[in-house]
Amino acid sequence: MLSRGGISKSIRYLPFNKLRKTLHILVWSLFALAGAVSVATIALHRGEEINAMWLVVAAVCCYALGYRFYSSFIAAKVLVLDAERATPAERLDNGRDFVPTNKWVVFGHHFAAIAGPGPLVGPVLAAQFGYLPGTLWLLAGAVFGGCVQDFVILLFSVRRDGKSLTEMARDEIGPVGGFIAYAAVISIIVILLGVCALVVVNALKSSPWGTFTIAMTIPIALLMGVYLRRLRLGRVLESSLLGFILVMLAIWGGKWISQTPSMAHWFTLSATSLALIIIGYGFAASALPVWLLLAPRDYLSTFVKLGTIGLLALGIVALRPTMHMPALTRFIDGSGPVFAGQVFPFAFITIACGAISGFHSLISSGTTPKLIRRETETRMVGYGAMLAESMVAIMATIAACVLQPGIYFAINSPAGIVGQTAESAAAVISGWGFPVSALDMHSLAQSVGEQSLFNRTGGAPAFAVGMAHIFSNSIGGQALMAIWYHFAIMFEALFILTVLDAGTRVGRFMLQDALGHVWKPMGRTSWYPSILVTSAMMVAAWGYFLWQGVKDPLGGINSLWPLFGIANQLLGIVALCVATTIIIKMQRARYAPVTIAPLAALVLVTFTASWHKVFDPNPRIGFLAHARQLGSSGGNARLIFNDRLDAVVTSALIIMVALILVESVSRWMSGLSGRTQAEVRETPFVRTRFAEE
Amino acid sequence: MRVETVRGRGPHSTSLRAGPRHTFNIAKLLMAVLREIFDESAYCRFLKRTRTERSRESYAEFLREHEILTARRPRCC
Repeated sequence: MLSRGGISKSIRYLPFNKLRKTLHILVWSLFALAGAVSVATIALHRGEEINAMWLVVAAVCCYALGYRFYSSFIAAKVLVLDAERATPAERLDNGRDFVPTNKWVVFGHHFAAIAGPGPLVGPVLAAQFGYLPGTLWLLAGAVFGGCVQDFVILLFSVRRDGKSLTEMARDEIGPVGGFIAYAAVISIIVILLGVCALVVVNALKSSPWGTFTIAMTIPIALLMGVYLRRLRLGRVLESSLLGFILVMLAIWGGKWISQTPSMAHWFTLSATSLALIIIGYGFAASALPVWLLLAPRDYLSTFVKLGTIGLLALGIVALRPTMHMPALTRFIDGSGPVFAGQVFPFAFITIACGAISGFHSLISSGTTPKLIRRETETRMVGYGAMLAESMVAIMATIAACVLQPGIYFAINSPAGIVGQTAESAAAVISGWGFPVSALDMHSLAQSVGEQSLFNRTGGAPAFAVGMAHIFSNSIGGQALMAIWYHFAIMFEALFILTVLDAGTRVGRFMLQDALGHVWKPMGRTSWYPSILVTSAMMVAAWGYFLWQGVKDPLGGINSLWPLFGIANQLLGIVALCVATTIIIKMQRARYAPVTIAPLAALVLVTFTASWHKVFDPNPRIGFLAHARQLGSSGGNARLIFNDRLDAVVTSALIIMVALILVESVSRWMSGLSGRTQAEVRETPFVRTRFAEE
Repeated sequence: MRVETVRGRGPHSTSLRAGPRHTFNIAKLLMAVLREIFDESAYCRFLKRTRTERSRESYAEFLREHEILTARRPRCC
């Protein structure tokens, strides 16, 4: 009941409240209108080039509306966030892993952990369909899928003392669910690392400048490690700044290296040599102490990542570049040179991070829930950080689409499709209706300090050229084009090698945990024989996929990136199954469509894509058809084996996820029909001491 | 910026409210975010928790403890 003072106060403020409400409606109506106009322009504009700002405005409006309305609906109606409930960070605060932290700090921390090379590479590859499919998928996928997944998994982990996805799958769905989640996680890590390493190999092959720069990041990281431990204890920001300056010097030095034949010779490496070096590096990084290499590299990579993303956003907004790629290309029919397959389902598995990525559920149920101070902050951290990552993916789409399409396809098409020589490649690509000449490509390669830009598959070089194109229009002009290009290559390779370091080590721990059940000493994470054996197993697993990609005449990306996309989205299915099961157990089944809708979309996409990748009669799409084609033409036995292996891996993943899906649906049905008592395994309610704030 | 200013306070202490200290607050918050991402705050918390001074020994001990957390932390694609 309101006091007299309360009533008079509310009466006094009534006109102001009304005005505020009207303004609120007006502002959000404007957002909706601007978003609708931008999306319509992107979707309906044909025949003329459009400005990149249409994509930026569409994304900002859609994401703002999604955050303001959809996420608040989920928070209030579906999850019923409780501001009074103490989080594990508060209850279990130990100053180590459980620490109540300011929401903006957690947001930054979470964003830094989820934003990797995926949102940069995926949209660049999907640009072969034109800018439209990728952009629409990014907008809708993030608002209705990826953000929802990250948000609900984060909240459910917070309500379970920061439990991991695999633990929640075991507790809420059953032991089969737990085992499958574990197997899916380790599979995705192996495939992810193989693909990431391939992207680096393709970016650095025959590039003495790029190879030198990246090689230098290893001693720089070691130096940072020693600096932190011996000279300036714990001054990570300071040492990262120092490392960044040294990396910039390495980029500058790389130019000299590439122009000095006697030195360039040492850093001009073939794809196979680079693959072997990266495999060796991965093993060393996994076995060396964290403080010496992994942690400083991680800091350096994060430092460069945050700065570059900010710089790219500023560059796009300030320069408002024109996109030369059409809205849709002829390759939506599945005949694309970058990777084969129709726009549905392949655009949706090519772009994972940026729209919906199963891998994020590991972060949302990892470090982040242990830092959340109040339950209501999960909305900003979970939903909001994913929106920020989606914005990064929009920028990557722009970077790819500002290139002339002929140049884009010349960089991203493998020699197996367009031919070995520059002339043949230019003729084939021009024949597709995207004019480009060998001379154009030669002068572009010279302007970025490379010998050739043909057949540089993997997405990273195309992104680097696009980024250099945007930056060189603002700072330094054409004279700095080569520096910007190599800065972008360094930035991506550094990103990816950090994922490689961390992923190999995480996989090693998972293997040690599993093998510890078979033979106890193997479970001791500091026992060196166990470290060496499990590191070797992990590196051998992803190294095999890398080697397969390097030896693939179609460039490797054609077969491996879809495999990675499928594995990543399958993990998303596991996460959404867990989320839906919990929502139903919470007696909020009528709101379950919030997670069932993205789950159904992912099931449709991944199962269709997997069917195509295994059984499609087109040898460029189907693994088995390709194996048959190689067999009938007396092809290499190793390549045939690789195709069959990829088919088996894809099938195994699909069967595992189908099992978890069946088990989840049966739990939902028995819960809804009342056959079993739905038991929510949340930690008991404790009132927060922050409630008064 | 000390870790205490980040921990245990309400959103108002670092909110983006307009006011004379607006820019300063944003810079302070940004610095706090960077210090958390780069584990500087974690080391400060370690020193406070273990009641030790900044030294090679304490940093080595912090790294040993932190290694278990860092090494198991996945980095997303």
